[in-house]
Amino acid sequence: MTFFTIVSRSLIRRPVRTALTLVGISIGIAAVVALVGMAWGYEKSVGKQLDVLGVDAVVSNISGGLLPKMFDADLQAKVAALPDVKETTAVLMQMLSIEDAPLMMVSGREWGGFTWNQMKLIEGRMPVDGKEKAVILGKLATEILKKKVGDTLQLEAEELPIVGIVDGQAVVENGAIFLSLEVAQEVTGNEGKINFINVRYQPGISPERTAALAGEIKKLFPEGRTMKADQVVGTSQGFQVARAMSWSTSILAIAVGVLGVMNTMLMTVFERTHEIGILLAVGWKRRRIVWMVLCESALLGLLGGVTGVALGALGIKILQTTPTVRGMLDPDLSPQLLVTSVIIAVAVGIVSGLYPAWRSSRLTPSIALHG
Amino acid sequence: MTDLFPLDSSHPVFEATGLKKEYDDGKVAALRGVDFRIQTGEFVAVTGPSGCGKSTLLAMLGSLDKPTSGTLTYRGLSIPDLADPPAYRAREIGFIFQAFHLLNTFNVLENVQIPMFEADWTRTQREDRAIELLKLVGLDHRLGHFPTTLSGGERQRVAIARSLANRPGVILADEPTGNLDSTNAEQIMNLLLKLHHELNMTLVLVTHDPNVASLASRIIRMKDGQVASDQTKPPA
Repeated sequence: MTFFTIVSRSLIRRPVRTALTLVGISIGIAAVVALVGMAWGYEKSVGKQLDVLGVDAVVSNISGGLLPKMFDADLQAKVAALPDVKETTAVLMQMLSIEDAPLMMVSGREWGGFTWNQMKLIEGRMPVDGKEKAVILGKLATEILKKKVGDTLQLEAEELPIVGIVDGQAVVENGAIFLSLEVAQEVTGNEGKINFINVRYQPGISPERTAALAGEIKKLFPEGRTMKADQVVGTSQGFQVARAMSWSTSILAIAVGVLGVMNTMLMTVFERTHEIGILLAVGWKRRRIVWMVLCESALLGLLGGVTGVALGALGIKILQTTPTVRGMLDPDLSPQLLVTSVIIAVAVGIVSGLYPAWRSSRLTPSIALHG
Repeated sequence: MTDLFPLDSSHPVFEATGLKKEYDDGKVAALRGVDFRIQTGEFVAVTGPSGCGKSTLLAMLGSLDKPTSGTLTYRGLSIPDLADPPAYRAREIGFIFQAFHLLNTFNVLENVQIPMFEADWTRTQREDRAIELLKLVGLDHRLGHFPTTLSGGERQRVAIARSLANRPGVILADEPTGNLDSTNAEQIMNLLLKLHHELNMTLVLVTHDPNVASLASRIIRMKDGQVASDQTKPPA
């Protein structure tokens, strides 16, 4: 018999209670995995999208909601004229409700620009020029919208033909609808407006020069900012709200888990007063009893964490198949998230066990023996 | 490891002087000034009617409770002031209780190993020692049984094996035959006597049963929290 035998035996003796507590922790940890996994996944998806498009920096307005506020397209020419800027392309990106589908990303891209040319056609054709009133869909968008090449798509007041399907190589790209910037501005009534300028620098440009360029762009566009591709998501207000919401919901779920484990461990300690009295009588030190209670609660946390991670991963896979989420993001189930979640669960167990452990260590042997 | 309890034969095993124990802010007096000395290897029976303070006295000898006043020493060391009372209970004292106090979720072999976690033994050493002790009490055929499946006599024998786990010098037994029929009671007493003789252990046994008390070499009779008589039998 080892010390672990003693710890595990006390959890096995009340299987229903242990199982219910595990369910409580598991749900909390599953919420952490699902919510944080989606938030991280969104961050990665957008990062990957910019990477695929070969964007070095993005110029956008500081203010805005889920997407930055629009600004005049004239700025693009001024940015393009700066030394060390190799090329630029303008984008008007909007989140719109399309037909029966929930919010989808509609990306109006400069026809012939480097982000346009990066799209890989897998079916149909590309619009013949920037004036053709036609759309192309990411391959996931075709599934969400249940559309194929040759169908039409109702976009605001216009009905546009679907002429092609592209593989965007990133989930955000695959779930989007693309059309030329000119057509997007006209259809959505935003003539002369854009909300992103994607920038490619000259190869081999130094970080110092990159920072200096950002300062020069700031002079041209005081209400805007220039971010490196990997900073785009982190500074997006919409994403920051989503990240704050996912973490606050997770913390709430964890708090419920802490109360659940603490309740179980307190009941266990109360019920085992007599047993603890015996352990004290045969010479167990108080710190060994504290250690035993803490190990029990940590083990509960560990088991709940592992179950919760499995539940969360399963839940996220199911969520990915729902129309609301599909195509919007690629949840991140990285080992880092899974291990962090299990560590959180074990920490929940230990924190929850502190008070019960302290209570158990305060028992007087002679009184506990008769308890 | 530092020896917290050096064996010093110049001191008695236990010595009590003016020992008092009060409860409820002095409204209830369990012990009203008890004096005695117990030497190494003695078998002392403490008898008396219910409520006379004999179990309270045993709890104090085992450092399970503290006196209100007076002195109580173990080999010259003040028991209420011991630096490490759990180590004292683990290494120097073996407890046997009327209600056995076994852990029902652990089998016989595991119950005997429980006190050994306070000794620096390996898992194998603990198991070997537990098997050795269960052989000694005649229960080596019941290793995997749980306490609830054993008779009262068997449970008490497991408790005796457990009390010997860390090779203590003293056994404190509180009504060890109180929950047993006469046959089992006799077997348990024979076992305790055998251990007392073979291992030269000091045995302090609380009982209200005169037949059990008569087996001891010395009988301390208590009444109303005081020692009413203290008789040592002449050697046979």
